[in-house]
Amino acid sequence: MFICNMGDVVAVNNENGKDAPSPSKDKLFDPSVDMLVNDFDDERTLEEEEALAAGESEDPNAELSSLQKESNMPLEELLKLYGYHNENQENESPIEEEDEVDPEPMEEQESEPDPPEQPSGLHVLYEPITDHEDASRLLRSVSRVSEEEEEDYDYSPDEEEWRKVNKTIMVGSDYQAQIPEGLCHYDDALPYENEDKLLWNPNILNGLVIENFLKKAAVVNKSVIPMGSQLRDDEQALFLLQQCGHNVDEAIRRISINTLPNADAMSLWSEEECRNFESGVRSFGKNFHQIQQNKVRTRSVGELVQFYYLWKKSERHDIFANKSRLEKKKYALHPGLTDFMDRFLEDQDGRDRSSSPNVQFSSDNAIGFSRLQRRPITNTLNVKQKYYSFIRQTNITRLPSLQI
Amino acid sequence: MTTKKVSYFYNPDVGNFHYGTGHPMKPHRLSVIHSLVLKYGLHNKMSIYRPYKASVHDMCRFHSDEYIDFLQRVTPQNIQAFTKHLSHYNVGDDCPVFYGLFDFCSMYTGASLEGAMKLNNNHCDIAINWSGGLHHAKKFEASGFCYVNDIVIGILELLKYHARVLYIDIDVHHGDGVQEAFYLTDRVMTVSFHKYGNYFFPGTGDMYEIGAETGRYYSVNVPFKEGIDDVSYFQVFKPVISNVMEFYNPTAIVLQCGADSLAGDRLGCFSLSTKGHGECVKFVKDLNVPTLVVGGGGYTLRNVARCWTYETSLLIDEEISNELPYTEYLEFFAPDFSLHPEVVTRQENANSRQYLEAITKYVYDNLKMCQHSPSVQMHDVPPDAIHEDEKIKEEENPDVRISQDLEDKMVDAKNEFYDGDKDQDKPDEDL
Repeated sequence: MFICNMGDVVAVNNENGKDAPSPSKDKLFDPSVDMLVNDFDDERTLEEEEALAAGESEDPNAELSSLQKESNMPLEELLKLYGYHNENQENESPIEEEDEVDPEPMEEQESEPDPPEQPSGLHVLYEPITDHEDASRLLRSVSRVSEEEEEDYDYSPDEEEWRKVNKTIMVGSDYQAQIPEGLCHYDDALPYENEDKLLWNPNILNGLVIENFLKKAAVVNKSVIPMGSQLRDDEQALFLLQQCGHNVDEAIRRISINTLPNADAMSLWSEEECRNFESGVRSFGKNFHQIQQNKVRTRSVGELVQFYYLWKKSERHDIFANKSRLEKKKYALHPGLTDFMDRFLEDQDGRDRSSSPNVQFSSDNAIGFSRLQRRPITNTLNVKQKYYSFIRQTNITRLPSLQI
Repeated sequence: MTTKKVSYFYNPDVGNFHYGTGHPMKPHRLSVIHSLVLKYGLHNKMSIYRPYKASVHDMCRFHSDEYIDFLQRVTPQNIQAFTKHLSHYNVGDDCPVFYGLFDFCSMYTGASLEGAMKLNNNHCDIAINWSGGLHHAKKFEASGFCYVNDIVIGILELLKYHARVLYIDIDVHHGDGVQEAFYLTDRVMTVSFHKYGNYFFPGTGDMYEIGAETGRYYSVNVPFKEGIDDVSYFQVFKPVISNVMEFYNPTAIVLQCGADSLAGDRLGCFSLSTKGHGECVKFVKDLNVPTLVVGGGGYTLRNVARCWTYETSLLIDEEISNELPYTEYLEFFAPDFSLHPEVVTRQENANSRQYLEAITKYVYDNLKMCQHSPSVQMHDVPPDAIHEDEKIKEEENPDVRISQDLEDKMVDAKNEFYDGDKDQDKPDEDL
């Protein structure tokens, strides 16, 4: 981010030269490791070193000698191009070391005058002079290109664009990750062992008993929406049964205590409301606001949404969906042809089917309704099953497999 | 030594991304490795998982919201609209915008994250994710082919259960993104072995970068010069890691196995052989600490595939033959078609023995300063990043006895004699 081409570095160096830590401090540490790392020549004379440390690296002798030392490096050309800069970096290393010894490294870093060491403050100063940021970023892809990969050679940007950016590790909330505080308990217990909760064990009671229980539960637990003549697994009822130690009577008793608030929460929908809602869905889709405005004024939008989700699972919806699918198909098969007789019959048919306002097992004419209902329901179920099994098969072939 | 439970994370789609023509980073290497792993039969000895895909939320545990939002929205088509952002987030040159960029990120990040979780829950001892290890990515910007730093996100997950996590990086490049993320903390020690100097990317990784504040002495850098060979590398690696273990005593390790430190890499300049590289992995494995193994760099495709296949076999303690099995990629490995080709290097080893000794000594002196491993108080449990049931499970096909998913998770016993259910081979004398 704090990019500077070489000219800038020189300028800033000169400006801040007087603030640089005095070279005498360098004697505080043993330089041997440091010298090794930075390719220092052991035979370098003291004068030379002092001269370099004082920032007067433009001395032609020093530069020449350094270039000689670097001559067997692979990126010769670059070194020649930026020889001055490299020298400069070598000189900074002792200062860095000095920095580490300081008891307050952070403060020292803030006040460090060298541009590479001090990103944040100087960055502001630099902003006006930096011209092309992108060109001077240190690019990884150019660091070395093997001769073997000729076909990819063209990728590497111009070597001239590659400038040394003094990257440093930045400190601040913008750079570090937030470490989670504290630790989880971590003992020998298997994970999840205590969190697991048995919801239902099918092996304790036999099938018939459970079926009878579910039938009773369904009678007691009246639902708002007609649930159809099939017996459904009621997970909550089963869980309750298991909580009651598989005592059927006790479970039924508890269910009958608990059902009342549920019925209150949503008052029964009249057949007319249901029909209006369905026609609303047909014309406005799932725009419940529109449906409320134009079709079912007696209910709030929230109630409509709630009803929608219940309705979706009911058999009314199956009939609804099936019918609309059939209609679509018919028009798709004979576009432009309107068979009014057909339409009329279908409408009649549909009205018959959906004429049961709130089908319940308890109602006296339930038998009558269920006779009317049975055929269409089984039909829709068949269609659905076929549809699902079709999906399942195609899914299997499409699943990404490991090709073992 | 007891055998370890190994989990291997591979998303079948992760190899299908492309950084762009001529770009040295080739995600396709992951498919090559996986096909070798399968053909060597290594999948029978470990549990294979199709990993979870990381969400924006997971990535924002380290990265900034704006940056991740940008990654999610930018595509090669609408790139014009983001000109300003591109240079701000360092996206463009090294880190191009390509099709499916965000999907790619969420795949490799999710795999590392799930690996960390499996380790946390003791479901396995070693988790392998060769697609991860993108160690350069910073909080606010992409860098060096890396967009989202899956390592940092994985370590953050490990920190929920582990007081001290050790990060080891044997990529040829400095692991600057990870070091920077944990520069101020003592709960993560980052140790990176890399090439330093001569403007080598990313420019950081001097041995004097040792961390700051609480994290002082908890960043370890071992800079090498070009051309280091197996013997010299291990001569430093072994004592440094041993010392780190002694002084820091981590309870979990993340090992970044960047394969660009191999000889003949397109971008790297070291002279390691696959065996030498694997030796480091084996050494870390034998420390008997839960380990998340991730990939990283590696730009000569055939060598990366060899290296990581070999290392997979090391991690599950399985010997594999030097002769490569037939795969659709066999021609990549011409002319020798072997796992451990002869190392040919024109690079001279610029690291003198004296230099290596000096640097080992320096690291040792610094490590002595952090003798007291930090401990952490027990605390309220932050929930796991992913709930098991959040992964959408397809309904199982009732007609299949053992589903693909189940089969992938099964591990053959060491002494398993038959290749599979249908193996009908009889001993020779019966014929």
